[in-house]
Amino acid sequence: MKQITFSYTTKLTFDDDVHDHSFALRIIPPDSPVQKLLQYDLHITPLTQYCQTVDAFGNHVISGYINEPHRFLDFTIKGRAEVDLSQSRTDFLPCYRYPSELTKPDASIQAFFADHRTACDSSDPAACAAFWSELLSDTLRYEKGVTCSGTTAAEVMAAGAGVCQDFSHLLISFLRLHGIPARYMAGLAYCNGETHAWVEYWNADHWEGIDPSNNCPVSENYLVLSQGRDFADCSINRGVMLGNYTQQMQLVRSVLS
Amino acid sequence: MGTISLEHSSRLYWLGRYTERTFRTLEALQGLYDKTIDDTAAYTAYLAAFGLPDSYDSSTAFFHCFLYDKSNCDAVAYSLERAYDNGIVLREAISSEALSFLQIAKDTLKRSEHAENILLSLLPLKDTFYSFWGCIMDQVYDEEAWNLIFCGKSMERLMLSLRLKAPYAEVSRIFQKLCRRLRFVPEGTPYRCDPERLEKLTAYLSSETGYNMHTAQAIHELERIFEVSP
Amino acid sequence: MTHTEIRQAEEAQSLFTEAIGNAGEINELLRRYGVKFGIYKNGVFKEQFFPFDPIPRVIPAEDFHLIEKGLVQRVNALNKFLFDMYHEKQIVRDGIIPEDFIYLSKGYLAQCEGITPPGEIYSHISGIDLVQGKDGAWYILEDNLRIPSGASYPLIARELTRIACPGAFAQHHITDNRNYAELLRDTMEHVNCGGIRAILTPGRYNAAYFEHSYLAELTGAVLVQNDELFVEDNKLYQRTYNGGKTQIGVLYRRISDEYLDPLTFYPGSVIGIPNLMEAYRSGNLGLINAPGNGVADDKGIYYFVPKMIRYYLGEEPILQNAPTYLPFYDEDRQYVLDRLDTLVLKDVSEAGGYGVVFGSDLTKEQLSELRDTILAEPRRFIAQEVIDFLDLPILDNGRTVLRKADLRAFVLTGKETKVWASGLTRFSRNPDSFVVNSSQGGGFKDTWVLSR
Repeated sequence: MKQITFSYTTKLTFDDDVHDHSFALRIIPPDSPVQKLLQYDLHITPLTQYCQTVDAFGNHVISGYINEPHRFLDFTIKGRAEVDLSQSRTDFLPCYRYPSELTKPDASIQAFFADHRTACDSSDPAACAAFWSELLSDTLRYEKGVTCSGTTAAEVMAAGAGVCQDFSHLLISFLRLHGIPARYMAGLAYCNGETHAWVEYWNADHWEGIDPSNNCPVSENYLVLSQGRDFADCSINRGVMLGNYTQQMQLVRSVLS
Repeated sequence: MGTISLEHSSRLYWLGRYTERTFRTLEALQGLYDKTIDDTAAYTAYLAAFGLPDSYDSSTAFFHCFLYDKSNCDAVAYSLERAYDNGIVLREAISSEALSFLQIAKDTLKRSEHAENILLSLLPLKDTFYSFWGCIMDQVYDEEAWNLIFCGKSMERLMLSLRLKAPYAEVSRIFQKLCRRLRFVPEGTPYRCDPERLEKLTAYLSSETGYNMHTAQAIHELERIFEVSP
Repeated sequence: MTHTEIRQAEEAQSLFTEAIGNAGEINELLRRYGVKFGIYKNGVFKEQFFPFDPIPRVIPAEDFHLIEKGLVQRVNALNKFLFDMYHEKQIVRDGIIPEDFIYLSKGYLAQCEGITPPGEIYSHISGIDLVQGKDGAWYILEDNLRIPSGASYPLIARELTRIACPGAFAQHHITDNRNYAELLRDTMEHVNCGGIRAILTPGRYNAAYFEHSYLAELTGAVLVQNDELFVEDNKLYQRTYNGGKTQIGVLYRRISDEYLDPLTFYPGSVIGIPNLMEAYRSGNLGLINAPGNGVADDKGIYYFVPKMIRYYLGEEPILQNAPTYLPFYDEDRQYVLDRLDTLVLKDVSEAGGYGVVFGSDLTKEQLSELRDTILAEPRRFIAQEVIDFLDLPILDNGRTVLRKADLRAFVLTGKETKVWASGLTRFSRNPDSFVVNSSQGGGFKDTWVLSR
């Protein structure tokens, strides 16, 4: 068991006024047998009323609406949580066994899968996960700027490079081809100053975590912010706004200690 | 009821304006047709009143263009199409019954294009419009919605009367009517009058001499009468 | 035509002389009231009048009684299935329906997991397509539980046929169908979470705009578009022209699930309302129909509906499906491949009459191509026996001819499930076609449900 303090900030800046801005944030760590949120503070500016619900995948959703013109949206969460890997998550949805929009295998993923699948034992999810994670770290280059948030597993396969999100999507794609349920985890980890992404796979009766971009199992240094079938279910921040802005800058900073 | 959206309010207002424009244009053209029997060049005065160039070979060409040419924004057919465009998205507000009269009007106008006697074939069109407005009076229970249509209607009528230099007595009556309509417009909506402009307009139209001297200024103020342009 | 068919046509001609005589007037009235549907031809929007045939379809009271019982049963089971799917999934755990048919279906929306709609109702308005076989039996052809359209056409047509042929209505005991507005209003009010009733349309250029605006007029609902709506405090509001806002308690939305909320579904949707799903999830909004219903009207799931009726209600299905095979099952696959040239193949991912192939129309090469596609993606298809439809008489240039027709029955679920004593009878104008969809050039007729 480990106690961690965390903070996470996003600053959205627009080059002109925006209005009618609806947003949905997934930044409050959801409680589970593995992690308990002990205390937190949430700040959103411009000051606005917001509501909180829990979505289909168990994530906290903060939703709000800003009608008045504004040029920025900042939100910060700071808090303390307890992470205990001797416990495990058991919340299950059958959709985690099936392809999703961003992880759908194309012909080349299927061919790659067919070439290598015999090297691991489909009946042992842990061995499978470790095998594909290893194989990915050998085949895929970790490189920023090659992919974006909407990049699919198939596109990553073609590009041969990507970031934590892309490693996770490909690993999920392979595991689901084995028939092993797998899901996308978004959150904070010690290793970097932004948000991180990793994978959980279903092992008989519970979830286990693996971090494919670092090719290692997850530790008590990983704090989950949201989970889902792929990145699209886990966006930290989704928003729709009106205005004549042409660009939107996003600054993200996260600290885990 | 408090369920009129901005888009809807503008549709209602312009439905009023375009139906009135269709009707009054038709009426003016019918009058002109009568004059043309004695003077084939009578239509040129009509063009002049609106500041339009005379590019027509004959009065027949003029009438055809001003009645049926949907690409001519001063034509009856054009206004009627715009009225219908606004009406079709207001079915639930004005009733299917009222909307059906706009379809009938379109059909009548279309048929008259190939009629031997255009004037005779256009007669039912006026009946149709009277039915349409009667239907609006009868079927539209939301007074705000109702008032918006008639604001548009009175506004259009005053505008055309000023441009066509209608007799003062008529203009004065129409102006009074518009003022009554405008008083019912709720606060906070784009159809509230700018009080200063209304005051100026009232001054211009308070006497026949004022009207004769300041028609152009009156039109100028009327065009900008709303605080926010709808 | 066979001898019996000729007699059938002649009978129709003599029975409905009044209606036939006034066919022109009725169509003229329909035109006047703007009974149109929009279609896109080569990317250009066009409005078409929906051709109306004056000879009504007559459904005897005892037939309708059976249809009514069967449809109430079917829709109740489908509603229970939808609740189960987005909650415990007991029917899958119990092995009645293979998991693949749920989670590979495009209509399943994981984002709706765990949401309990007001009254636990998912399909408030169900459009169930039926056909009558030559043997007189009614078969279910398809369930439409997303946004089934078409109720407005028979509704306004009745208004006009009663004007054009009062004699026929005086002579026969025809159930009045003009209560649809009331049924719809009650259905909406039943799930109203506090606020006004509204119908959401994508706009004038939608194929069914006439229907949206006509139903709004009849039910007294406000017809809205997304740009006047917003969600604040997880409540849906209409922005009014005086700068105020009015809460909407129930929204009959006529746009597809994937465009409904850009913050939950397709992010590029410009016709949706951001955070609409949050308002819905929080119980502040009734949505008609519930998002995610596509999982229950998938052509693949159709096969399992009789099983659902037994499973959830413990009853035997009153109305039968058309005999259907799933190539997904080994034993069915062999049968389908052996008899490909006599069956109808339906691609489960297509709708609106598209993706339907009659084996008998295909060349040898096309058949073998289809065989390969089925072997590669067995779950993508269902196969059905071609039902020997009971053709209906229609008027064609003054002559009575027989054409294929179906019946879309409308079933409304509020406090209880009710079948509207009417329906949309669509027919194909083309003598060789089985496809009756309006988007494919079909017409419609009035449907008389006899009260005795």
